[in-house]
Amino acid sequence: MISRRLQYEAARHVVAPFLSALDGWQQTRKAAKRGPRSTAKLFGPPLESTGKLKSLMTAHYYSGRYADGAVPVAWVTSGFPIEVLRPLGFHIFYPENHAALCGVKRLVVEYSEPIERQGFSPDLCSYARTDLGCAISGRTPVGRLPRPDLLACCTNICQTVLYWYRALAEHFQVPLVLVDTPFVYGETAPHHTQYIIDQLQELVAVAEEVSGSSVDSEELRNVILLARDGAHLWGQCLATGKTRPSPWTGFDGFFHMAPIVSLRGTEECNAYYRQLLDELQDRVARGIGGIHRETHRLLWDNLPIWFRIRDLATLFAEHNANLVVATYTNAWAEVGRLIDPEQPYLSAARAYGRVILNRDLPYKIQLMRDLARDYAVDGAILHSDRSCKPYSLGQIDLKNRLNQELGVRAMLLEADHGDPRAYAAEPAENRLTAFLENLA
Amino acid sequence: MRNAYIQEQLESHGRRSVAVLPIHYPKELLTAHDLLAVEIWGPPGSPRGIPTERVQTYVCNIVRNALAFLSSGGADAAQALLCPHTCDSLQGLATLAPDFGGWDKPVFRFQPPKGGDRPSARRFLRAELEQLSDALSTISGEPLDPERLRWALKLHGEIDRIRGHLQRERAHLPWNDTRLYHLLRRGEYLWPEEHLNELCSAYAALTPERAQEGIPIFITGYLPEPMSLFQILESAGAYVVADDYAAIGRRINHAPRATSRDPFDALVDIFFAAPPCPTRGTPQALRIAYLLQQIRASGAAGVLIHTQKFCEPELFDVPAIRAALAAEEIPTLHIEGEVEAELAAQSVTRLEAFVEMIAP
Ligand code: SF4
Ligand code: SF4
Repeated sequence: MISRRLQYEAARHVVAPFLSALDGWQQTRKAAKRGPRSTAKLFGPPLESTGKLKSLMTAHYYSGRYADGAVPVAWVTSGFPIEVLRPLGFHIFYPENHAALCGVKRLVVEYSEPIERQGFSPDLCSYARTDLGCAISGRTPVGRLPRPDLLACCTNICQTVLYWYRALAEHFQVPLVLVDTPFVYGETAPHHTQYIIDQLQELVAVAEEVSGSSVDSEELRNVILLARDGAHLWGQCLATGKTRPSPWTGFDGFFHMAPIVSLRGTEECNAYYRQLLDELQDRVARGIGGIHRETHRLLWDNLPIWFRIRDLATLFAEHNANLVVATYTNAWAEVGRLIDPEQPYLSAARAYGRVILNRDLPYKIQLMRDLARDYAVDGAILHSDRSCKPYSLGQIDLKNRLNQELGVRAMLLEADHGDPRAYAAEPAENRLTAFLENLA
Repeated sequence: MRNAYIQEQLESHGRRSVAVLPIHYPKELLTAHDLLAVEIWGPPGSPRGIPTERVQTYVCNIVRNALAFLSSGGADAAQALLCPHTCDSLQGLATLAPDFGGWDKPVFRFQPPKGGDRPSARRFLRAELEQLSDALSTISGEPLDPERLRWALKLHGEIDRIRGHLQRERAHLPWNDTRLYHLLRRGEYLWPEEHLNELCSAYAALTPERAQEGIPIFITGYLPEPMSLFQILESAGAYVVADDYAAIGRRINHAPRATSRDPFDALVDIFFAAPPCPTRGTPQALRIAYLLQQIRASGAAGVLIHTQKFCEPELFDVPAIRAALAAEEIPTLHIEGEVEAELAAQSVTRLEAFVEMIAP
């Protein structure tokens, strides 16, 4: 146990930073040899923080290889209130973030096909299929995934995660804790908030038992402060997109959200966003844009199409269109700020119960209206994500309302966030091109 | 036909109706409020009409058809809509139809707690039931009489008892599956006392000798649609010995109705004693143990898993169920439906081949 712990700490603090520095050096050399990419003239200079982002996430995944046996490990859904787990020393692994990484590396089909042959339907969410494929086969692009001691699931993003985590619980034979968050129609009913508070208290008891330690209230307060500040910093980074030109693109934002998802409640996360914010503010001051010519500004709804990000970013930039805001990246800034260290359970119940995916359509259209106004967008792309029914259902009406009532030109783009088999690139990108041309 | 029945209930008994989306809801509460529950499971057939274009084709046909049905005025005879929070898609429909068009009468949502029996879930459910009861009063025009709720608990207990008995004694009922399932599905809209009378007739028809000689099949899945499935099984020499359809067998609750208790507490007890269902978040291990016990008790020669396309709650469990049945050497066939009017030719062939394979 002690040597495993030493290995884990060494992996986190020594080996991973060294490996990512090495990787950074190799990438720089390769880039220097290759010369500027053919698309470089379309974009602003690359964000320097990206290197730091890579090393942060490399350290996170690399240390994960040595986490089980060294510290308690929890696999959690992206909307889970992890603030209560961090003080117990859990290494926290986010299957959705890992599945997104697999999406970017175009590994989703490779990982999900074997479990589809075992009977998992290809119609299931591709995050779930990717994760179950990795859990069952042990395959991953990050070397090794830590075996969980606890599964922690919160239904504030969807109920799909509950079906998925039940399957994981069966596979790993470990406890599954659930925070079931009643859907919010209009305002949250008091008994809904109380239910979440009660569950948070129940889950702490289970997590304490699994970790063999108890929650220190001072430490919990500290984590909550960090989580709140992290969400605030992330929100400030996103808000730089309000300037014209936006100092970065929404496609950059999809990558740079990784720490607020996976490292929320840590100083590393906040230090990273302070650096990113400095850089973005500096670019704003110097008038540097994410793309060279920003004529049109767009809003994105739903998850990104991870395996096409580069192609779509190029297509947008070719049409002088910048993605300046996304409901997806905004979700991590939206409610985290509501968390109050003085009222940890009450405020977590309020904040985590009110994320976009747990709210009704009137809220969603209001949010889109606000974002469209604040970011001065003139078009919206609604990614109709075959995998994600909770995010996608209602988008057809939302698109029509954006068009007709708010004067924001909107189009629906049929795809999947992870599975390229559900994306017909040519017709989809032809439609997108026509839409972008029409914006002019 | 249902509209005429709803109308008749209103005119003859002054009884108002509530259209109800799938699956689990406290029907006892509606009965106690003298409200007729009329469930919307479809209607069967491919999605039709412009409203279905408001929902992407990768959402199940239950939801797409329901939106079309509501939007076309199909449920206008009802005075309100009840949306239980069953899955992500129904959750979406529960805001889409009332908020963006399709249903403009009162709407009630029932959010059952997920993930099993926990103190937090019990407290929440009780509060949720009380809130729903208050909302139903606005339609029934009367506050709830606790005695009526006790009576409704007993009535539905009796209905479940006889439905359970018919499942267990299926081999002794000289009715084919089509006739039996027509009867069971009439429970989706009949006033419960009438439904109980019909069930009692079926009960009376049970014979001491076996009345079914075919190959016994157990079905787990969502909805017995299309009903022609039963004719196909019959022609192939099989019959349904018991089922765990979300719409039928999975809603038979064997829990004793402790009517001496506070009736809301009794409703809470009943909720947590219901058969395992993925939409309730029951752990897979419990669900599988329950299924194995039901299958063994039924004497089934094989199991049909009959799911709906795009139905995540059911589909996530299929591999684990198949693996557990394979470990027990229980033959299994999985077919996927789309509440189609007729079963796809390929499914028919697979069903026939399956029955042939398990025939002694
Ligand atoms: S992509 Fe959608 S369905 Fe899948 S886990 Fe995320 S929120 Fe749930
Ligand atoms: S068939 Fe499945 S996905 Fe469709 S409404 Fe029913 S439970 Fe939901």
